[in-house]
This record gives sequence, structure tokens and C-alpha cells, in this order.
Amino acid sequence: MSTIALKTLFLKEVRRFSKVWLQTVLSPLVTTSLYFLVFGVALGSRLREISGVPYIQFVVPGLVMMTMVRDSFLNTSSSLFQSKINGTITDILVAPIGALEMLLAYVGAAMLRAFLVGTLVYLVALWFTWFPLHHAGWSLFFAVFVTATLALLGMVAALWAEKFDHLAIFPNFVLLPLAFLGGVFYSIDLLPEPWYTVSLFNPLLYMVNGLRYGFLGVADVSPVASAGVVLASFLVLVGVASALLRSGYNLRS
Amino acid sequence: MKPPVLRCRHVKKRYGTFTALEDLSLEVYEGEIFALLGPNGAGKSTLIHCITGLAKQSEGSIEVLGFDTVHDFRTTRRLVGLVPQEINYDPFFTPLESLMIQMGLMGVEPSRERAETLLKTFALDEKRDAYTRTLSGGMKRRLLVAKSLVHEPRLLFLDEPTAGVDVELRRELWQEVEELRAAGTTIVLTTHYIEEAEQLADRIGILHKGELLLVESRESLLERHGGRSLEDIYLELIRKADGRHAA
Repeated sequence: MSTIALKTLFLKEVRRFSKVWLQTVLSPLVTTSLYFLVFGVALGSRLREISGVPYIQFVVPGLVMMTMVRDSFLNTSSSLFQSKINGTITDILVAPIGALEMLLAYVGAAMLRAFLVGTLVYLVALWFTWFPLHHAGWSLFFAVFVTATLALLGMVAALWAEKFDHLAIFPNFVLLPLAFLGGVFYSIDLLPEPWYTVSLFNPLLYMVNGLRYGFLGVADVSPVASAGVVLASFLVLVGVASALLRSGYNLRS
Repeated sequence: MKPPVLRCRHVKKRYGTFTALEDLSLEVYEGEIFALLGPNGAGKSTLIHCITGLAKQSEGSIEVLGFDTVHDFRTTRRLVGLVPQEINYDPFFTPLESLMIQMGLMGVEPSRERAETLLKTFALDEKRDAYTRTLSGGMKRRLLVAKSLVHEPRLLFLDEPTAGVDVELRRELWQEVEELRAAGTTIVLTTHYIEEAEQLADRIGILHKGELLLVESRESLLERHGGRSLEDIYLELIRKADGRHAA
């Protein structure tokens, strides 16, 4: 493994999103803060507790997770896809860089962006409603593995996509609906059957509830079950992304 | 004869049912300029892509200085540089940043000094901190050449480097090619400009529909055809090959 190439590619990706920080950091921060103001502060004052915690606190982990999911996906997918479209992927393909370095660099940079934006959203939320972190270890576990998983999904999407419309399918028609239906704003205990059972097939439910357990100590599903789903998703996507990169799928003709 | 820097053995490349390269064997020797000529779709870029890692051959083997481009790809890619046919640039970075990044990607510790030397060599030093998208077409092409040299490759591929380039820049690039050869770099050049090959190349290969029709030194080729121009020789070979294919 070339550590120089790995470090360079990682720093290149970090500089890429840093150079357009208004779009990559500030924009998601503002959007998520607006969600928080509307659903947490405005509507939350009318709602009673959910799962034993005030509603304004209940939505915080969901919003942080929704932001991290979106940003980790978008960082890898947009960067890799753009380099495919503008031809600069050639610079990487002719370099002595293996699939492992590509995977680590792209995923690492996406995780950094997601952590940065997620932390800022969390700090904004704390300014409105301070609460102690219930379990730092679980919080970190879910933050790390969910962002890594979504960054990997972003790579897979970018490798598969042949036009911008293909890429837009994931954030708009997959991730956003799954996040909204994954208990960001409500507990699935409030849902009647069959929607309760249907919700259990949504992987975003486990990601949101995993972080909710870490933040607040309450969740619709146990943290162990959430960890299992997240780890399984992570391992599957590591396998898929590695296989695609090794085979040169849609990269090397 | 010097040892081959590049050795292709029975290389075939297929895209579905289409054969882009048909049982191609070729050796390129240290310090020479080898011009690969052929009409559009002959397979010139496909061959370069197979050697540099942008494509994978369906059959056969390719070695750079004795290292296999598939099994020892990390070694061969450090030895090879590529100036691609299409101009590409990363809109996020300046020429200076682009060169530093490319050094790191090629596994070389990024050196500002080396990057600045290259910028000066290719007359880009005044644009070092400008966004690459603001550079003229000629400057972008010079940046591509500079990027291909960041790791001091032993074997450099120039895939139609002068396509769509004005006469002045073409002459500058030819001079650069001569200087690189003088410094010991082996160069493989693909071009549509026959006079380019006539002026620069030590040996010439003519590729047509994936088949290597001829590999010969420029001098002996011209001598053998009794003073006819390289363009005439090239066109005759292509027409004969087309006739064989039609038959």
C-alpha cells in the first residue's frame, strides 16, 4: 500500500470539500437547523414527551444522523462521479494506487465531512436544548460505522451511475424517504400495524435509533440490534465497493 | 540493441464482440521515440490504455522494464507517464496544487520545488495560483504534460498531444519531446500528423483495425520506399489493409 498516495488522495478530498464549504458544510448545517427549529422548537413545544424525553431532544439524534447520512453519501458520490465525468479519474487510475487506498481515502474524507457537519448540528441543538450525552461509546460507534457505510454506498452509486440523474436517485428517492420513515421525527411505537413491522425493514431506522440510544438512552430497537444491522450493512458495502474497485467496474474499460 | 522498456506479447483487447486489438506484439527500446500511427479507431489509444492501467487487455501480457502491468501494477505505473488525449482538469485546484497532488498520487513525496520547476519549464509559473479552469487550452495541455512528468517516468506516452493545438504550441511540445528523450526518457507517441512522426520518431508503428501492420525504423522505412514521403507510404499501407479486409 502506498501511504503517500493514500495521504495525498485523502487530503485532496478534504481540500475539495473545504474549498466549497458554503455548499458542503454551511448549507447542510442551515438546512438541518431549520428542521430543528420547525420540528423541534416550534412544533415540539406543542408535543409532549416521546419515549420519556422531551420532543425537542427526541429529534436531535435523528437530525444529526440524517445530516451525517446525507453528507457522507454525497461526499464520495459527487467527488468520484465528477472525476469520472470530467476525466480527472485518469490521474488516479494511472497512479500506483490500489482499491484499498482509494477506499480508505474517499471514505475517510467523507467521514470527516460528515463528522464536521454532524458535530455542528449537534452543537446548534445543544444551544436550544442542553442534555448530557447518555453513552459516548455507542454514539461514536454509530457515527463511525454509519458514515463509513454511507460513504461506501456513495462510492458504489458513483461507480454505477452514468449520468447525474442516476446519482440523484439515491439521496432523493432512497435516503431521504428512508430517513423520514426511519423515525427521525417520531417513534415507530406510535405506528399501527402493518407500518410498525414494515418500518423494521428500514435500515435507516436502526441507524437513527442507534444514535438516539447513544445520545438519550432511549430507542425503538435495542442498540445491539441496531449495531448488528449497521455492521452487516457496512460489511456488505465494503465487499461490494472493494469488488467493484478491484474489477475496475465503469472505471477501467 | 538496448533492452526493451516495453514488451507487449500477443495482446488482444475485445469489447463484447468488437476486437480493438488483435494479437499485438511490440517492443519499444530504451531512449527511443516510437510513433504509433493509425486512423481513428485503429486501437492506438486502446493499446496505451492497456499499458497504463486505464484498460485491461483480454489476453496476452504487457511488461514495462520486465515488470508485468497487471501483477506488478504498482511498479509499472511508477515507471510510466501518460499525457491523455482528452484535456482534463480538476476545477477545484490550481496548477501548483495539481502538480503537488499528482506527485503524491504517483507515490512521490510532494515537492513544491519540483512543482515550481515544472511550472517554469512549461511556462505556467505565472498561472501557478490561478484556477485551472481559467487557463487557455494550450496551457491546460502543457499542464497535462507537466503532470505526466512529476514522477520522472522512464516511459512516457503522449496520446495525440498536438491534436487541436496551434503551430506554435506544437513546435514547443516537439522541442519538449526532444529534450525529454535527450534526458533518457523513452517516448511513445500517437499522432494523426504524419510530419510529426517523420520529424520526431526513431521507429514507426502503423496500427490499423487493431492489427500492427508495420514496425520499422523511420530511416529504413523511407529508404526502402525510395524517397517517398511517409504520408504516401502510410496511405498505401492503410489502403492495402482495407483491401484485404474487404476481400
